[in-house]
Amino acid sequence: MKIALAGNPNSGKTTLFNVLTGSNQFVGNWPGVTVEKKEGKLKGHKGISVIDLPGIYSLSPYTPEEVITRKFLLEEQPDVILNIVDGTNLERNLYLTTQLLELGIPLVLAVNMGDVLAKSGDNIDYAKLGKALGCQVVAISALKGTGIKEMVDEVLAVGRENKLHSIMHKYSGSVEHTLAHIEEALLHDLPLNQQRWYAIKIFEQDELVMQKFQAFGAELEHIKKDIAECEKEMDDDAESIIIAERYSFIEKVIKDCLRRTGKSKMSTSDKIDRIVTNRFLALPIFAVIMTAVYYISVTTVGTWVTDWTNDVLFEEIIPPAIESFLVAVGCAPLLQSLILDGIVAGVGAVLGFVPQILVLFIFLAFLESCGYMARIAFIMDRIFRRFGLSGKSFIPMLIGTGCGIPGIMASRTIENTRDRRMTIMTTTFIPCGAKLPFIALMAGAVFGGAWWVAPSAYFMGIAAIICSGIILKKTKMFAGEVAPFVMELPAYHWPTVGNVLRSMWERGWSFIKKAGTIILLSTIVIWFLSGFGFTDQGFGVTDDINQSLLAAVGSAFAVIFAPLGWGSWEYSVATIGGLVAKENIVATLGIIFGFAEVAEDGVEIWGLLGAQLTVVSGYSFLIFNLLCAPCFAAMGAIRREMNNGKWTAFAIGYQCAFAYFVAFTINQLGNLFLFGTFGIGTVIALIALVGFVYLLVRKSPEEKLEKTAAKLIAE
Amino acid sequence: MATVLISLGLIAVVALIVRSMYNDKKNGKSCHCGANCGACTKGCHSQK
Repeated sequence: MKIALAGNPNSGKTTLFNVLTGSNQFVGNWPGVTVEKKEGKLKGHKGISVIDLPGIYSLSPYTPEEVITRKFLLEEQPDVILNIVDGTNLERNLYLTTQLLELGIPLVLAVNMGDVLAKSGDNIDYAKLGKALGCQVVAISALKGTGIKEMVDEVLAVGRENKLHSIMHKYSGSVEHTLAHIEEALLHDLPLNQQRWYAIKIFEQDELVMQKFQAFGAELEHIKKDIAECEKEMDDDAESIIIAERYSFIEKVIKDCLRRTGKSKMSTSDKIDRIVTNRFLALPIFAVIMTAVYYISVTTVGTWVTDWTNDVLFEEIIPPAIESFLVAVGCAPLLQSLILDGIVAGVGAVLGFVPQILVLFIFLAFLESCGYMARIAFIMDRIFRRFGLSGKSFIPMLIGTGCGIPGIMASRTIENTRDRRMTIMTTTFIPCGAKLPFIALMAGAVFGGAWWVAPSAYFMGIAAIICSGIILKKTKMFAGEVAPFVMELPAYHWPTVGNVLRSMWERGWSFIKKAGTIILLSTIVIWFLSGFGFTDQGFGVTDDINQSLLAAVGSAFAVIFAPLGWGSWEYSVATIGGLVAKENIVATLGIIFGFAEVAEDGVEIWGLLGAQLTVVSGYSFLIFNLLCAPCFAAMGAIRREMNNGKWTAFAIGYQCAFAYFVAFTINQLGNLFLFGTFGIGTVIALIALVGFVYLLVRKSPEEKLEKTAAKLIAE
Repeated sequence: MATVLISLGLIAVVALIVRSMYNDKKNGKSCHCGANCGACTKGCHSQK
């Protein structure tokens, strides 16, 4: 049996899907979290699949999500549709319900968030609602897990009996007359239960459905005449007639089934939003919150635990213990080196930052679950719009804070191709979780644990997105109208501890798993490259890392990075290693600087790294690696979403060029202002900066056109 | 003897990692997103 979960965006489908299947699919408080359908097995029931469909507002094929959902419902014909509606927004949610009921597939209506509605003093009469719609209605709370058993029982009963609900919604006489004509002329070969939906779609002259019936040339023309007559009689176009009649039906249902007490004119959420989304306060509040999140995660709480894992666990406990064991069993020195200086040093360097990452993930999960992240998209829309960007572009970036790949994929929700491409190009500027160990490492080793380093990495990402947006939008490739951004702000609520911890663990475990797979393999390769090389005696083991293959490879690239202030082979190699996975930067530096070894002079191991870089070159190194091309997996996602080799190359080339420009300017101008160094590089950086400012402030093609038009009119 | 045994163990670990990565790729779960594979909307479940 197939159960399809359908409903409006943000109605709680994915939360319910997780409850029903026991999966850990990502739950977000903004539209676009589910851009493809997901399938799972109903917990405790064999042979029953649950399909989580993308959230949609209607069955009209206007957005990719609507196309996916509609195609699935029509072509794969699930046994039951479990329609989840948000009880706090019944009117809007029932619009989709009226369409789903017409599909001819058994349907159970689950009213979610009824508890939130009850708190506001309003009440739904579920029995009356079921009667009015002609289907089974159950009240649930997907978040708290209440009413789920009753709902599952109802769904299984409806599915097993293939019990089709009655169609309670009847259109006005003229429309019903036309629908009957359509069914008789064109749809008599279709199963009886599907005829009504197709008839309505033909009445609306839905393009995709009309194409399907092109073969009925004469009959179709006759039907079109019928529709035109109905439109004339109703004095409106067919689509509007259907919409209006649906809404008047919903209005009647709501009137009968929803008791409003009008207890509170302004909910707590509204009161919080008055401050949090305030025109003047929104941005400073956002800046303070994100600064606090990164400060606490990287500098305070996270660091206390990370210091222990780095300085005690991976320095005083694990490496000596492994070393004693290997020596005791008489393991060959070369193998000891591979295990200690390669695997333990590399993987340990990455795992040492797990506590900081977990703390960050707790905060992000909390902000997402309570509803604040959705507000950020709304706040950013105001700023983005001013620069010709849509707030829709910020949602992939919010998702990208966890990992760039789903962020890139979430750009699918952007209909406008130009805006979508631009979003794909800029999403990975936001530091993902994999970059956090690197940020934490640099903040501790080079900046002495300065509080501002981690938040600045986040805000540098946002600044890069905004600047890139402005510059790109002024080019012919990306110029165009700003897409409208409509988004529902969910009510604030306290997330459950279980949900926050589950989200943190899910993300944290992926990180740990990655350290044990791809990072471990990388450390073996890096160890080999750093321990072998061409010496006077030919190719073989070398004690001098500067003679190693790694040094040779790094030196070849070092010249490119020299103007950025870190033209030493170690950093070039770390940067290239970061393309496999961003954590690899830390793993590579861990092997090169001997993370697992205890320094003889007692200097902290990461201090050796800090001693090689100044604050300026260190920041340049940090920013370049944050903004340049993402890991190979993310590049693959860019390729898939762009669906074009040239655009992929352009996106990656742009990211690298932008990162190079920013890092170069930071290094050259930073050295000028902090150390008074002036040279040819400073001049080039100043010229590049002027060029960058010009690209930011110059007029867009539309502005130029408008100006010319205004001039002509004036003349 | 210890060197041989440890080497074999290490080779086995590497082989298991490669196998698991290969299987993940085959099953459409190849996105090595360090932070949040659960968030990956690649639709692995539907691409069978």
